[in-house]
Amino acid sequence: MTRLAAILEERNLTYTAVAERAQLQPRTIRQLATGETPIDNVAVGTVRRIASALSVPVAALLGPELLFPGDVSVPRGARLSAAIRGVMWPDAATPYLSPVEGDDIGEGDDIGEGGRADEIGALPADEFFVDMPPVDARRG
Amino acid sequence: MPGAAEVYRRVAEADELASGDIAFLSLARTRLTGEMPPGDRFDPVGRIPAYPRPAVVALPHDREVAIDSMFALVVTHSCEIDRQKNADVSADHFDCRLTVAPIVSEAAVSLVRADGTNATASWTAIEANAPVASLYLPPIADVSELAPDVDPIPWPRSFADLRGLTTVSRRMVATDRLCGLTPAYLVVLQKQLARFFTWRDLARHELVEAMVGRRVVGAIPLNATGDRLRVALTADDGSSLTVELRAR
Repeated sequence: MTRLAAILEERNLTYTAVAERAQLQPRTIRQLATGETPIDNVAVGTVRRIASALSVPVAALLGPELLFPGDVSVPRGARLSAAIRGVMWPDAATPYLSPVEGDDIGEGDDIGEGGRADEIGALPADEFFVDMPPVDARRG
Repeated sequence: MPGAAEVYRRVAEADELASGDIAFLSLARTRLTGEMPPGDRFDPVGRIPAYPRPAVVALPHDREVAIDSMFALVVTHSCEIDRQKNADVSADHFDCRLTVAPIVSEAAVSLVRADGTNATASWTAIEANAPVASLYLPPIADVSELAPDVDPIPWPRSFADLRGLTTVSRRMVATDRLCGLTPAYLVVLQKQLARFFTWRDLARHELVEAMVGRRVVGAIPLNATGDRLRVALTADDGSSLTVELRAR
């Protein structure tokens, strides 16, 4: 859930109500609240107007600043902690193409590749390689 | 489905790099300017939505590099990583390239099919490593048990997406490495890599092509499941083909 959505839910506010106060389109508020449009991607003025309409600081609407890999000014543990929070637990989920290639797969269904039986996929990993000799084992 | 204890292992900062290492990395994707993988229906601004906040570097001739900051899994075989040491090459001259797969978190995505419809049930198959393009990574209740200097926070259910393989510097992996995979689960990774690059349940195009120009003289419904119906078609030369029809 985005920070904007959390504020709206906490105060029981509708997109339309906030849009009227901020003089923006309700659609804009909805897109930002759902995360469909990341709040980092809109004009600063838009964020300011929403913050003003909600009487909160601009920072209250923004997600935590994402640390970039390799920032050695931050200790390794803090860097990785921030990365896990920001990357693995983002404010909103977005659509992503499933790696499953087949049709509907649900609880109890046959779960072979593509939703169909797949003898290779069903083989235990250690059996998968059992008959394969090492390739070019002399290479160091 | 495997649990965290069967999948992950601790790695110390001084440990050698290895296949299965998980690290926070900058991953590059080259593309035509504004190109929208995996399809504009998913993201009208050209990001891969699960890949957070890409930086974009412009190239000549309407090309660009999108750089995503995310966790990724090293898939280069450990023997390949070590090979240059055995070849007596200076550490300054090691080939820097390690192949990594981006890690997609369940909390970051809502899985969809190619037509944009909901596919959250895919997680059942992903957990069983049924798709060829993913390696399941189970949730971790407290990451600090694997990496003591990291805050006691959970790690969500996720998968390494083999469709997004790219290369990174081995020094980058060493700088921001979180943990690794157990030897037992490395075998599962290797199996998934072998399947991804070699195995597909290919459509039988040659059978369909052989039917072109023939007259269908028989169509026998075999069985129906949900909105799907399997039908055996017989051609005028006696050949037959079973097809699956789906009502939309």
